[in-house]
Amino acid sequence: MDLTLKLVLIVVQIAAVMGVVLLHVAYLTYMERKILGHMQDRLGPMEVGPHGLLQPIADGLKLFFKEDIIPTGADKFLFTAAPILVLVPALIGFAVVPFGRDSISLFGMTINPFITDINIGILYILAFSSLGAYGVLLGGWASNSKYSLLGGLRSAAQVISYELPLGMALVGPILLSESLSMVKMTTAQGGGAWHWFVFVQPVAFVIYVICAVAETNRLPFDLPEAESELVAGFFTEYSGMRFAFFFLAEYANMILVSCIATAAFLGGWQAPLPILEFIPPIIWFLAKVYAILFFFIWIRGTLPRLRFDQLMGFCWKIMIPLALANILITSVIAYFVHARG
Amino acid sequence: MRTISKWARAFFFTEIIVGLVTTFKHLAVKPITRQYPHQKPDLPDGYRGVIVQLRYDDMTEKCVGCALCEAACPSHCITVVSGEDPDLPQRRIAKQYVLDVTKCVFCGFCVQACPVDALASSKEYEMATWNKRDLIMDKEAMLKLGDRYFPNRSPRPHPYLEQRLALFQKLKVAEFPKSGVAS
Repeated sequence: MDLTLKLVLIVVQIAAVMGVVLLHVAYLTYMERKILGHMQDRLGPMEVGPHGLLQPIADGLKLFFKEDIIPTGADKFLFTAAPILVLVPALIGFAVVPFGRDSISLFGMTINPFITDINIGILYILAFSSLGAYGVLLGGWASNSKYSLLGGLRSAAQVISYELPLGMALVGPILLSESLSMVKMTTAQGGGAWHWFVFVQPVAFVIYVICAVAETNRLPFDLPEAESELVAGFFTEYSGMRFAFFFLAEYANMILVSCIATAAFLGGWQAPLPILEFIPPIIWFLAKVYAILFFFIWIRGTLPRLRFDQLMGFCWKIMIPLALANILITSVIAYFVHARG
Repeated sequence: MRTISKWARAFFFTEIIVGLVTTFKHLAVKPITRQYPHQKPDLPDGYRGVIVQLRYDDMTEKCVGCALCEAACPSHCITVVSGEDPDLPQRRIAKQYVLDVTKCVFCGFCVQACPVDALASSKEYEMATWNKRDLIMDKEAMLKLGDRYFPNRSPRPHPYLEQRLALFQKLKVAEFPKSGVAS
């Protein structure tokens, strides 16, 4: 009996988190179109609902009812599997993100503001986000189209290269909080904004944000999609719901990397000043996540696409050495501070 | 020194920040786009839309069926069949007037060619239709559009005198030859 209730509770919690994430994904597309529109002196979507507020629903319905095409010569099994392989890792990472501070008691059980707190949280997210690259690569290969193949190859090269500095940038917060768990990492930054790792580890934060933009294949690092040269890159041949899966995965990934940046660098649900703690922690968390998402969209509205050799050169010649130097300096200082204290 | 400042600029992303500031400022700029079907543009006075026919203030049509517009039309989209008005003395009209809007190039030569100013360029431009035949306009359609776009009509310059109309009616009833009937 107790076990059943527990199981039901876990399933409900997972469903709730997934539902909320998908809702945010849908309205992130709306937010992106609106902000980009206003940055280009346009209005963005205005037709469906007041100020186009129902646009994501209209888009979803449209994609749902579109014809599902599998091109001749495509590998049917991989072509079908690729969108799932992309979407699942993007959604699964939210399991370890701590959204708030307080646990709720319900039916004699405590519901935590996260699905699970595993002691290798960061590693778990990094491992699954690199699985997403398989989906992109296989989707590009299985489409049997030159644009898709080029897009898939570029994506694989880019994601694998940028994963290294991304992981290394996260080593800084790991060293300082002495834990791989996202929950402990957040609690380690308590007590005011000056304890946040973004001020202790500014270089790591900048490296992380740049790599996050590259990992999510967004401008200025959107070479795998590159509308103007590769049509749409790895999902050129996809339509209907399969295309929607890729689309959802891209935006879910954006939210996920923003959540990690918030938890690892911006103090998670912590208020910036102790006086401001009357505002619920979940509001602080959302505000920080949306600030980073706004920055992503802002960057997209500002910068042009890089050339492929620039992209690779920037990663291997600048980001990785900088990240390594940052780890070295941080660990030396952390060692001496730890030895003295 | 210059290399150091160049290096510092690269390190602190100075140029990217300048770009970011520019795009951020544009968030506050009023959108320059027009929400078209809800917000119609103000067309200039010389705008040449669909050609329409006009009437005098006594609601008779201006056109005298001279077919100069047909001669002036560079794309041969106007067809005029000239004729006589059976109810008025010596009044020539267009028995049929066809304007093929699908062929029209909106040059306005017909408007200039017309000796009685019976034609005008309206500001009508939303001519999208499901049926192409809707775009072949006859005289009635052109007059209807003209009534909509030019409600201020000029007076007829040489109205008929009452005596002449009366004489015409008398003669018409009494003496006009009737076809098929020997007089």
